[in-house]
Amino acid sequence: MFLALQEAVTEAPFFTLDTSQPGDVLGAWLVCFLTLAVFSFLYKDNPFYKFAEHLFVGLGTAWFTMKYYEEGIVQPIHEYITSARAAGAAGEVFELGGYPLDTAWAIGFRVVAGIFALFLLSRLIAPNGWAPRWPLAIMVGVYAALKMTGETQSKLVLLLANAVAPVTDPNKLAWGELTQNPGWRIENWDMFFSFSMGIFFVGLICALLHFVFTFKRTRVLAGVSKVGVVTLMITFGSMFGFTVLGRIALLIERIDSLDGYTDPAYSLAGDSGGFLTMAFSPPILLGAVIALTLGVGALRGRGGDSA
Amino acid sequence: MASLRDFDRRWIFLIMAVIVVGLNVTGGGGRLPVSEYVHNYYDTIEALPEGSIVMLSADFDPASAAELLPAYTATIHHLFTKKLNIVNVATWPAAPPYTVSEFGRIAPQYGAEYGESWVALGFLPGDDVAMGNIGQSLASAYPKDDVDETPYGDLPLLERVGDNMDGIDLLITMSAGYPGILEWIAQVGGRYEVPILAATTAVQTPDLFAFYPSQCAGFLGAATGATQYLQLVDEATGGAVEKERLVNQKRMAVQSGAHLFIILLIIVGNLIYFIGRRGA
Repeated sequence: MFLALQEAVTEAPFFTLDTSQPGDVLGAWLVCFLTLAVFSFLYKDNPFYKFAEHLFVGLGTAWFTMKYYEEGIVQPIHEYITSARAAGAAGEVFELGGYPLDTAWAIGFRVVAGIFALFLLSRLIAPNGWAPRWPLAIMVGVYAALKMTGETQSKLVLLLANAVAPVTDPNKLAWGELTQNPGWRIENWDMFFSFSMGIFFVGLICALLHFVFTFKRTRVLAGVSKVGVVTLMITFGSMFGFTVLGRIALLIERIDSLDGYTDPAYSLAGDSGGFLTMAFSPPILLGAVIALTLGVGALRGRGGDSA
Repeated sequence: MASLRDFDRRWIFLIMAVIVVGLNVTGGGGRLPVSEYVHNYYDTIEALPEGSIVMLSADFDPASAAELLPAYTATIHHLFTKKLNIVNVATWPAAPPYTVSEFGRIAPQYGAEYGESWVALGFLPGDDVAMGNIGQSLASAYPKDDVDETPYGDLPLLERVGDNMDGIDLLITMSAGYPGILEWIAQVGGRYEVPILAATTAVQTPDLFAFYPSQCAGFLGAATGATQYLQLVDEATGGAVEKERLVNQKRMAVQSGAHLFIILLIIVGNLIYFIGRRGA
């Protein structure tokens, strides 16, 4: 069952934090156990899955808290003010958002921002107090301004410009040139490009008209609207297809990863022999233990909640 | 018919597992045709002159690493092969460990020195706002780097970049969702006229077609796009990513088998539905 494409790991350390090295033995067993524990949910909810779920949520929360504390509190408040004071003492120019600023003002702005952040937390003491409204108002205002400028340009103006693109492309091949080209592909054909653009144009107009509720639904508008609905369904179908593609890719990566851990370097039996090595490798042994436990639990009628 | 409608879905999971495991063990994939989007991603990097500075944003986490890590790895190889310099940033908190492991593994292969050829600035919280900050003033957004907390001005590569996006020749994002490629386009692409490339998860890929090629010069859609790109990079680098290419080509073959099974399920499901409706 060894995967020929993956490098055989002749020697794996029991434990290492060096991520550029091949995986360690302890990590291999943990990865296999947690992956199989999560997959076991497909059979039914069970203690293995619950353990993996709680561990994941706990570790995830710890990691996020640590990163946001470092990058969102320590760096922008403590380190910022320290370096601003140092710059002020040395008589150097200090910058805020790319603009040179007097250090006193720079520190002042940051302190005010910190106080506003604390105002947000005052909701815990006085839920209906005035204090959290100020920072919220600033955040909503800044965010709206930020989104409005960038998004209007990229998602309205430029997309509209794209929607009125020409239906011919000088880079594509005419019919005669295409058939003379060995290994031709239909998307290189100018007429196919024009046809696609035509479909795009009709689909776009019909989908937009589907959402026009100003006028009475005449037979013509209802017909156009139906074409719009078909266009939207094709779009949703494409999105569904891509979503399936992504989910299956994740499954394959996990299975491939488990397959890699059948390497003798991770097996409890070492490189003693084909069957034993395989049977005592992390994915096989742990899979068997989990399956057996769930099977016994199901037989006794207390395998946890039903799926 | 009623028994088919009440069919225990766990049998489907089991059959899917058998298909994926079976094809994974026995299968080997062939070369995929390379799409226009992937060609443009590759060509945009190829067109950059030696010494250009590329901002590479790791906007993903372990949940999307299966789709984006191959693209990330291949892109780093490609950039170093072309002797381009990399400023690595991240807007997802779980992304920096991937930067450490991938650059730690790949940079020494090309003799790329930290600070001269590449820098890792780490995670910046704030989503769209963080991207706007990066565009406006990289030095204010990142006063220190993420490797050994060296001040911004002490890193030779960042001195060349200057303070804003004017010093950046290309922006590439490994985009798993929000914040990702759409936010980079809105906050940086339009404002600073920096060409943008992206590798995206399958879920996000359909959103990107509308922005191609005017706002996103090329993209690697899902694991399929990454595999196509790995083929191109493998040729360009003389086999530097051969292992990744072979693994991903094999995964594509497994994926095709799994997709055929899903298509079969959709057809059977619809047949059961329509026959059942006629019976009722």
